[in-house]
Amino acid sequence: MLKKMSYSSFPEDLLEHVFSFVQSDKDRNAISLVCKSWYEIERWCRKRIFVGNCYAVSPRVVIRRFPDVRSVELKGKPHFADFNLVPEGWGGYVYPWIVAMASGYPWLEEIRLKRMVVTDESLELIAKSFKNFKVLVLSSCEGFSTHGLAAIAANCKNLRELDLRESEVEDLSGNWLSHFPDSCTSLVSLNIACLGSEVNFSALERLVGRCPNLRTLRLNRAVPLDKLANLLCRAPQLVELGTGTYSADLRSDVYSNLAGAFSGCKELKGLSGFWDVVPAYLPAAYSVCSGLTSLNLSYATIQSPDLIKLVSRCPNLQCLWVLDYIEDGGLEALAASCKDLRELRVFPSEPFGAEPNVSLTEQGLVCVSEGCPKLESVLYFCRRMSNDALVTIARNRPNMIRFRLCIIEPHTPDYLTLQPLDVGFGAIVEHCKDLQRLSLSGLLTDRVFEYIGTYAKKLEMLSVAFAGESDLGLHHVLSGCESLRKLEIRDCPFGDKALLANAAKLETMRSLWMSSCNVSFKACKLLGQKMPRLNVEVIDERGPPGSRPESFHVEKLYIYRTVAGPRFDMPDFVWIMDEDSALRLS
Amino acid sequence: MSEVEMAVIKPEMMKSYIWLQTADGAIQQVEQEVAMFCPLICHEVIHKGMGSSKNYAISLPQRVNPAMLSLILDYCRFHQVPGRSNKERKSFDEKFIRMDTKRLCELTSAADSLQLKPLVDLTSRALARIIEGKSPEEIREIFHLPDDLTEVSGACGNCVCLASQFPYVYNFNIDYILQEEKLEPLKNTTDDPRIRLLNRLYAKKRKELKEREKLKNVEVEEERVDERSVDDLLSFINGKERDSKVIKSSKNKKKHRRKKDQPKNTCSNEATKTHKQESNGLNLVCLSAEVGYKFRPDLGESSNVQNVEDDIFVRKVDFEDVDVDDEIDPALKEKIDREVEDFARRLNSDWPERMQEILSLGQDMRPLHHSINGNGTITKYAK
Repeated sequence: MLKKMSYSSFPEDLLEHVFSFVQSDKDRNAISLVCKSWYEIERWCRKRIFVGNCYAVSPRVVIRRFPDVRSVELKGKPHFADFNLVPEGWGGYVYPWIVAMASGYPWLEEIRLKRMVVTDESLELIAKSFKNFKVLVLSSCEGFSTHGLAAIAANCKNLRELDLRESEVEDLSGNWLSHFPDSCTSLVSLNIACLGSEVNFSALERLVGRCPNLRTLRLNRAVPLDKLANLLCRAPQLVELGTGTYSADLRSDVYSNLAGAFSGCKELKGLSGFWDVVPAYLPAAYSVCSGLTSLNLSYATIQSPDLIKLVSRCPNLQCLWVLDYIEDGGLEALAASCKDLRELRVFPSEPFGAEPNVSLTEQGLVCVSEGCPKLESVLYFCRRMSNDALVTIARNRPNMIRFRLCIIEPHTPDYLTLQPLDVGFGAIVEHCKDLQRLSLSGLLTDRVFEYIGTYAKKLEMLSVAFAGESDLGLHHVLSGCESLRKLEIRDCPFGDKALLANAAKLETMRSLWMSSCNVSFKACKLLGQKMPRLNVEVIDERGPPGSRPESFHVEKLYIYRTVAGPRFDMPDFVWIMDEDSALRLS
Repeated sequence: MSEVEMAVIKPEMMKSYIWLQTADGAIQQVEQEVAMFCPLICHEVIHKGMGSSKNYAISLPQRVNPAMLSLILDYCRFHQVPGRSNKERKSFDEKFIRMDTKRLCELTSAADSLQLKPLVDLTSRALARIIEGKSPEEIREIFHLPDDLTEVSGACGNCVCLASQFPYVYNFNIDYILQEEKLEPLKNTTDDPRIRLLNRLYAKKRKELKEREKLKNVEVEEERVDERSVDDLLSFINGKERDSKVIKSSKNKKKHRRKKDQPKNTCSNEATKTHKQESNGLNLVCLSAEVGYKFRPDLGESSNVQNVEDDIFVRKVDFEDVDVDDEIDPALKEKIDREVEDFARRLNSDWPERMQEILSLGQDMRPLHHSINGNGTITKYAK
């Protein structure tokens, strides 16, 4: 390479120095594809890797290609696992990765996992293998207990982050926290919000007190409100706080202590927690509101008037997660006060009720789309929607990047015209040219998919349920969406034809999930045979698909590209279609 | 007037100068405080006593041509003045690096050879910004780099086929890595006993599957070359038992923790559960669908097919079982020897330990590794 350059030679270590200023995965990947020497240089100095599907590549191959990695991020189960669509035991085990990295990356500092099965064994191995371990983030993971956490606490001398966001942890003992040695003062972030039972509070107090760099502290529900003030006083430098339960008997001393503690937190930008909120205690937090950029009230069962009081005090709010108790009125107030809002998530308080319990309709969302010019990310649960509203939202917010609309009842049409919502979603994809993520709901025909295939050129992730009429719908998406990486579908009448016709497309995507659709076992086999670089997983708890006629529709189908070949850690309800399985199973 | 007299009358006229010589032979003098801003020049002056006169001019590294020297001196002249504010310096820097990419590369290289770290960082960052957001093709064009990744190294028709038919297969994207083994099919390395063994294992497996399928009267599928990496084969042979152990232990732990099940009655619980995992309406839709979806699993025959398959893969491999069953053309042998050696080295499982050794010798020490030049030869380089 050096000889080809028409000007003075550029030493490789200097090139590496240039690369050190290029950190995004996309750019590093581009660098690695430029030419052989850049590929070589880049791979030796890559410090951080992200593997979006832990089965796409084997850890051995990763370690061999990138020998000096310090930070690894892995994802396991498909997104629909969050909705209990992926049966337990499907896979996503991190242990083989930890074993490989224990010998391959002794200097590993950071592990971030999402939707993976993490055992105590894995945690213990992490604790003893990586001398400089700093960051552990377990997002929606499961399979471990507080014993594993104790091992991490006890052994990771330089631990900076321990974040268990939304993981399922077997709570064997609250004493695991005491395993942090007195010499541990390096914590920057601690998130234990998902833990069910009490942690040893005095250990927590001492830990918080001796970590001067602590910026993020998210407590679990078991931490009582009257103890919160103590913690805040020990950590006035906090930037993000997740309270424990926000309820206590009304006592003026508790209130004033709390208010005083909050007012001491000059750096606070994010608040969450708020389980079991007693509205009378909310004003204790008012002093921090003007600085807040992020507010997560998704556990706060308070009504609209209290929500409005709180939200209208937060003019710098950028991100709000809230229950639908906020109602249209509250969203109107939000639109008026929070001009910097970027992200809004409205969750349902009573999703299984037959009748709406709150006055939250499409109007609230329209209002926010009008009043908040920076709004780009929306997750909205509601019970009715109209094409007009969607068109308005689309026109208001062409800067929308993530739009996830969840009309609670499947097949709900436009409540004004009783028409499908094709036109409305069509407007969304047409106007929002940079849309990366979209979730559909309501009554939808193949037409909406035609719009999506035509306009959604930057779309990377699409979630579809109870929509469409025929294979044509799926075909539009697979043939039209150039940037598509993840597609998840449930209960749609999509079958073999679209899938087989667009088989090549599947190799350009991370994964495709289809459950309760019309894909036959025969098509799955065919796909598995013809596409060696895909793992075609048939997930069927009714028994071996080979025991039924080939035309039978498979229960669930998960297809992902991989260079690791078929995996061998499947449970007995998962079959991988490849050239050999055809022999085995037919 | 003599120089000395001049110095007495106007001391400020007698500034000190450092003499520098660029690789082309040209010699120039530069104000001392400016030149000394470069660590290399500083070192030469202080530790070697060079630069005080034309005859003792400091020879600058080859990468510093007169044009680059001029630029660097401009930089030094500005920054060596102590009184400037950060804002001023930043503003100067921003204007200073505005030049075409070729010059920027030359300047980075020149600054590096003079050990002028702030300028190296400034120019490196500028180059990084040029690289960011570009496609590989664009980067290649800007820096005049060869498109040699799609070239085939070694006699391997498969590779060419792969690269041209599936451009994204050759995408070394971490999300979808094509490891090097894919370019060298197993049949090239029949000399390695482990590979031969694995090939035999595959042949055995195929044979057994065929036999079983004959019993079931199913049409025989055409044999395909197995393109899986040898590493994966090794790891599943060695790793399968551990994996199943792991699966068992995690399953046991979960037996009494069936949290994620049917919807409870209390609404707030559901609200908590549904959005606990960043759900969207699909969750509710799941649950409402589940009400009607009363399909009970019809297990039918509890087939043992899966178990038999497990047996095949878990069976212990006996490495002593290798015998010479492949006749290799002596003419070919020489040709593939080098590839086999390379392949075997990579198969060698103590490689990670070696790396660990080298890395633990100190962060400063870089491992030896190979670099492939544009003309296809391999050179080793180490820091």
